[in-house]
Amino acid sequence: MVGAKEEVELNRLENQVDNGGSGVWEYLCLVSKLKIRRSDKVLKHGLSILNDPKKRSKLGPEEWTLYEQVAVAAMDCQCLDVAKDCIKALQKKFPESRRVGKLEGMLLEAKGLWEDAEKVYSSLLEDSPLDQVIHKRKISMAKAQGNISVAIEGLNKYLEIFMADHDAWRELAEIYVSLQLYKQAAFCYEELILCQPTVPLYHLAYADVLYTLGGSENLQIAKKYYAATIDLTGGKNTRALYGICLCTLALGQQTKGRNKEEKESSELHSLAATALEKDYKYRASDKLSLLTATLRNLKLQS
Amino acid sequence: MAEDLVLDTAIRDWVLIPLSLVMVLIGILRYFVSKLMRSSQLPTDPKIVKEGQIVVRARNLRASANFIPVKSFRNRRAYFSNELGLAGGVLVVVIVVVIEEEFGKLMENGLLHVPKGQAQNAQAQMFSDPNMAMDMMKKNLSMIIPQTLTFAWVNFFFSGFVAAKIPFPLTQRFRSMLQNGIDLSSVDVSYVSSRSWYFLNLFGLRGLFSLILGEENATDDTQRMMQMSGIGFDPSKSLSAEKDSLDIVQHEWALPKFEQRAEAVLRNLVK
Repeated sequence: MVGAKEEVELNRLENQVDNGGSGVWEYLCLVSKLKIRRSDKVLKHGLSILNDPKKRSKLGPEEWTLYEQVAVAAMDCQCLDVAKDCIKALQKKFPESRRVGKLEGMLLEAKGLWEDAEKVYSSLLEDSPLDQVIHKRKISMAKAQGNISVAIEGLNKYLEIFMADHDAWRELAEIYVSLQLYKQAAFCYEELILCQPTVPLYHLAYADVLYTLGGSENLQIAKKYYAATIDLTGGKNTRALYGICLCTLALGQQTKGRNKEEKESSELHSLAATALEKDYKYRASDKLSLLTATLRNLKLQS
Repeated sequence: MAEDLVLDTAIRDWVLIPLSLVMVLIGILRYFVSKLMRSSQLPTDPKIVKEGQIVVRARNLRASANFIPVKSFRNRRAYFSNELGLAGGVLVVVIVVVIEEEFGKLMENGLLHVPKGQAQNAQAQMFSDPNMAMDMMKKNLSMIIPQTLTFAWVNFFFSGFVAAKIPFPLTQRFRSMLQNGIDLSSVDVSYVSSRSWYFLNLFGLRGLFSLILGEENATDDTQRMMQMSGIGFDPSKSLSAEKDSLDIVQHEWALPKFEQRAEAVLRNLVK
């Protein structure tokens, strides 16, 4: 998660650096600190430092982390020659390093030599069976090859040991959703909500999954989580607003004519509809007619 | 009699200052040696890592239990702290515990459940893990060897005479602290023997080291003592503590409240 303040700072630095100003190193540091993926910029500016021996020697021991950063960025941009040079330099400096070994594996991955990469990772794991990054690389490799079932198996095995790793839970949840295994995905999203109860995106995703599962109980819960998302985002999340409307409609269809007690919370969806209308009027007035038609279809138009 | 004792300036030049200097240098040397010998402290046992992660996850569950539906919470709690009610009964009937049976029971118990006897005591763990013993030995060696050597050196060259005088009077109780190595009860307590000067340096230079070598790099003897007793820390204890606190958590779903709050938010927005 990147805070708004940091993002402003990052963009300011990026602008400055793009226009040939100083602060390249600060920019690169900030990118790696915030774990942001702007590989093209990192590659361009990082190389400008690395290719200048004077600037490079000024970094001191930080030089090698820069090599690593640029290597990863280069692989991301498919500049495999650059990545190879960086890794070679690192290899010369740190032979037998596990971190460099990881980079080699990634280079093989980038070239599409899955079996070789697998071999590299396996030999690294023999040395240190508890390296989280290598486990994750293996899993993502399975995913990249399309072996979703292998990836799921790997993730489950990984989570058995590192069960407090919420990134892994998130990945697993997304895979399950893509395979339409919603019950399993719901479990993963619950786990994520437990980890970080104030992140609205997890509430939203959980609500989506529950809505898709259907059934009056799930729909009620889904509505509550959409409401939580609205609360946490201050009503700015359009998807959550639509979610409220759809949940209310589905619930109304399920309990048609026999349940009057649902009426008490009926204000929420009309409010959501009004909020949607207002939002559309403000931001996309040309699509307003579409929205009113949709809402009329949902019988929510007041 | 106190006025009669005049200390030679040569004592200052050849005992007091060299002694302090040597102590500082040895402290710095020790720091670098221990840095060289320090092995990477990655935990290598998946079981230990897993236990740590279980505790974190259980703590998360406890802290934000109110954000998930009741059913999900109950499932999770059962998963974490399930305990077989049978266990007591089994113990009475079966005296000879068959190992396979025990293992089977383990599988059905919750993650936080620590079976009796399974909790290794720290001593056994230390001996079962040669790395840990090795680490401790290294630490001890880097601490004890220079200390004994300097102590022997001080004893051999400087023992038995007065090296300094502190500028204020002290009571008799300080005699054993300041005049170690001099068995004269008639000397005023404010005189410091050379051996005592060594001890004062040994314990008093910590602040200086943390200045020179950085805050956490200080070769802090007391901290090391703490660490050594800390090895006796038992992960199974934190597991069972976590289980107990998880058992008493009252689940109160927070989401219904959110509906009203969302309504309020939207009303504000629409206005």
